[in-house]
Amino acid sequence: MRELNPLLHSQLRLGVMSILMSVEEADFVYLREKTESTAGNLSVQLDKLSTAGYIAVEKGFVGKKTRTTARITEKGRDAFIEYVEALKQYISMQ
Amino acid sequence: MEERKITEAESIEIITSMISRTKDRLAKGCGNILLMWGYLSVAVSALIWVLLVTTKNPAVNWLWFLIWLIGGTATPVMAKKMRRKTGSRSYTDRLTSCMWSVVGWAAIASVMLCLGFLLIGGKDSWSMMFAFAFIIVPMAEIMQGLVIKEQSLIAGGSVGLVAGLFTMCCISAHVALVANWFMPLFILAFAAMMIVPGHMLNSKAQRES
Repeated sequence: MRELNPLLHSQLRLGVMSILMSVEEADFVYLREKTESTAGNLSVQLDKLSTAGYIAVEKGFVGKKTRTTARITEKGRDAFIEYVEALKQYISMQ
Repeated sequence: MEERKITEAESIEIITSMISRTKDRLAKGCGNILLMWGYLSVAVSALIWVLLVTTKNPAVNWLWFLIWLIGGTATPVMAKKMRRKTGSRSYTDRLTSCMWSVVGWAAIASVMLCLGFLLIGGKDSWSMMFAFAFIIVPMAEIMQGLVIKEQSLIAGGSVGLVAGLFTMCCISAHVALVANWFMPLFILAFAAMMIVPGHMLNSKAQRES
């Protein structure tokens, strides 16, 4: 039985990954609004996902304001699919 | 949302809830680019029509390029602003953006070819530019309508396409595209292709928000 990926098995990180599976790219404000999280918490979780290579984070400027955008990587996509497969196994066992 | 461990059932719930939140919805002002092109085309053609009737000078036809010049400059600026406003870019957004880029390049290529043929004395080269515009643009509009399931784009594009095919037939039958009937046709077709769907998209987006 496959173990659930601990990096994805957390509320906010899973939320972010689910969003990024559905859109090509999303900015920080969009992710914060959709996940209803705080900026600080979201920032920490994005860093964790980025360090794992699951998402690519790009920081740029729009005028004088900073704009952070995130997109899922191939590695992240594979990890998400694997997570869902493992999840199916857990659910079918219960 | 917080950083906390979850159960398997909660995982499923989070995944489905997040995916449904990102479902393609019409963003406020999504019809603005269409409206800009529509009103611009109608305004420029009306201006040319008036100038042709009053001055009888065929040189005013060069003003047609104002549409490409203004529209081509304003579109990337408006699209960038729109993307910033929505905060995300979906796969549909990418597909439609690529499709309109192809339209842009096809339009530039067709204008260049027509001007080239005009220089070497091509008789119908100028008229062919209208025919190309009437065929390339509606095709992309119909496809976009099919992708985002928007009837007004499909209907408007179809009106434009029929006008384009009609223009093609006129050129091949050597019927002159006289301002008296061709300009109203051009104005009506662009209003049906861009102004009507643009307003419909904006009002739908307003209702959805």
